[in-house]
Amino acid sequence: MAVRGLLALVVLVWSTSALAQGGAATARPDLSGYWELRFDSFNVPRAPLTTAAQGALEMRRAKDQDAIRGCVNVGMPAVMDDRGVLDIRQSPAVIGMVARSPSSTRYIYTDGRKHPDAEELEGTTNGHSIGRWQADTLVVDTVGFNERGITAIPGGGYRTSRAHLTESYKLAASGDQLTVTFTWTDPTVFRTPHSYTFRYYKVGAMPEPRVLNCIQNDADRARFLTERPAPARF
Amino acid sequence: MTIRAIAASVMASLLLIAPAAHAQEKKGTGPVPEMSGLWLVQDPGSGSWTDWFDNVPKPKLQPDIIADNQRMAASEAAGNVVNRAPRTAACPIGNLPMMMASSPPINIVASRDEVLMGSESNRGRFVYTDGRPHRDVKAPSYVPTGFGDSIGHWEGDTLVVDTIGFAPRVCDSRRPVMLVPGGGRAKDTTHLVERYRLVGPDELSVTFTWEDSTVFLAPHTYSYTYKRLPEGIPIENNEEPAVAQPDRQYTTTKAEK
Repeated sequence: MAVRGLLALVVLVWSTSALAQGGAATARPDLSGYWELRFDSFNVPRAPLTTAAQGALEMRRAKDQDAIRGCVNVGMPAVMDDRGVLDIRQSPAVIGMVARSPSSTRYIYTDGRKHPDAEELEGTTNGHSIGRWQADTLVVDTVGFNERGITAIPGGGYRTSRAHLTESYKLAASGDQLTVTFTWTDPTVFRTPHSYTFRYYKVGAMPEPRVLNCIQNDADRARFLTERPAPARF
Repeated sequence: MTIRAIAASVMASLLLIAPAAHAQEKKGTGPVPEMSGLWLVQDPGSGSWTDWFDNVPKPKLQPDIIADNQRMAASEAAGNVVNRAPRTAACPIGNLPMMMASSPPINIVASRDEVLMGSESNRGRFVYTDGRPHRDVKAPSYVPTGFGDSIGHWEGDTLVVDTIGFAPRVCDSRRPVMLVPGGGRAKDTTHLVERYRLVGPDELSVTFTWEDSTVFLAPHTYSYTYKRLPEGIPIENNEEPAVAQPDRQYTTTKAEK
């Protein structure tokens, strides 16, 4: 009887330990880290633009240039294709993303909340993002954009207040790579949904300084951004 | 060896392992209080930024800081309330004491290795909790900011954040050094320790202790309480900036409005 009791206790301790480990093994992937986008992600298919969007491209491009000159928060999707390293931090309820360019921190809520009602949602450059896990893939839904910052979307088109973005995040290469597939829909810009995939590589450290100190009143910078360059002489 | 002896031996081994695993989890890799979320500082409702900012226990200040405070107060009373300092690339970003006291909620994302603290949806502070030491804030390559260099560790249920490396000056013609609540200063010689602790599911207490022998005669300590905004929506500073103009000499600050 004593042996049986001891064995039962052993099994209980072991199973509790195994359950705990199993829980950890099946836990959500942790996307936290410093992520770098490299040149292999710039093969983006051409977006199926509406006629109206094609006609508006030049005006949008000029508006984006003004945003760059004015150090306006770049917003989505520029935050995700920033030339600097992207810092992603994951907690159980929210994920934060910080780019180097002038931008707001992007927050993705994974606590089960819904988007706020449209009348409560003031548009932002990053929009309002909620995410849910489907097995090992994080599916993110974003609405509530405004039209400030850099609005250009890779492959063509631009962000408007009617845009709807869906993203799927999945770790690859034993956690050293992160693939993100973006799908934009907006009846005023795209004839059909526009999708492309970026691959980010994990890097060990964040280059300093982490944040670009963009000075909107920097006269030299303003000249550099506005003057037509003189032809190079060799 | 009998079955009984084997069973006893296995059980003893497991019982030895279990506390060690638990201790490791408590040390840093396991669950810690979840502080992520949107937090609103609890201003008692003075309605005045200056009154609120000074609503802390009075620090014991060095005589020259007291004299400088009196000079600034006289200057502001004389109407010098506009920041006329040019905003250049040399101007440091951020202002930690102001950010932590301001009405826009603090947006915390606490991952295992790093804690983000944003304000008004813009970027803010980075607190490294991965065990790294401070950067060499005396090195020429270090770019000082108004947020300094912050590292953190957990002491039980409390996140302890240590910050050095503040910028020596800020671009503000009215007060060219960052102010600390109560009348102190935060600059390159200043050391700040913050203690973050959940005192309820939706209440966060932060105790600030400032040390700088060039500013304070003794450590200056005060606490703020923040309330969680469970369904809060991060807002964004949508102030329309002026497009870069070479002849523009200074930026409009909130104090000018």
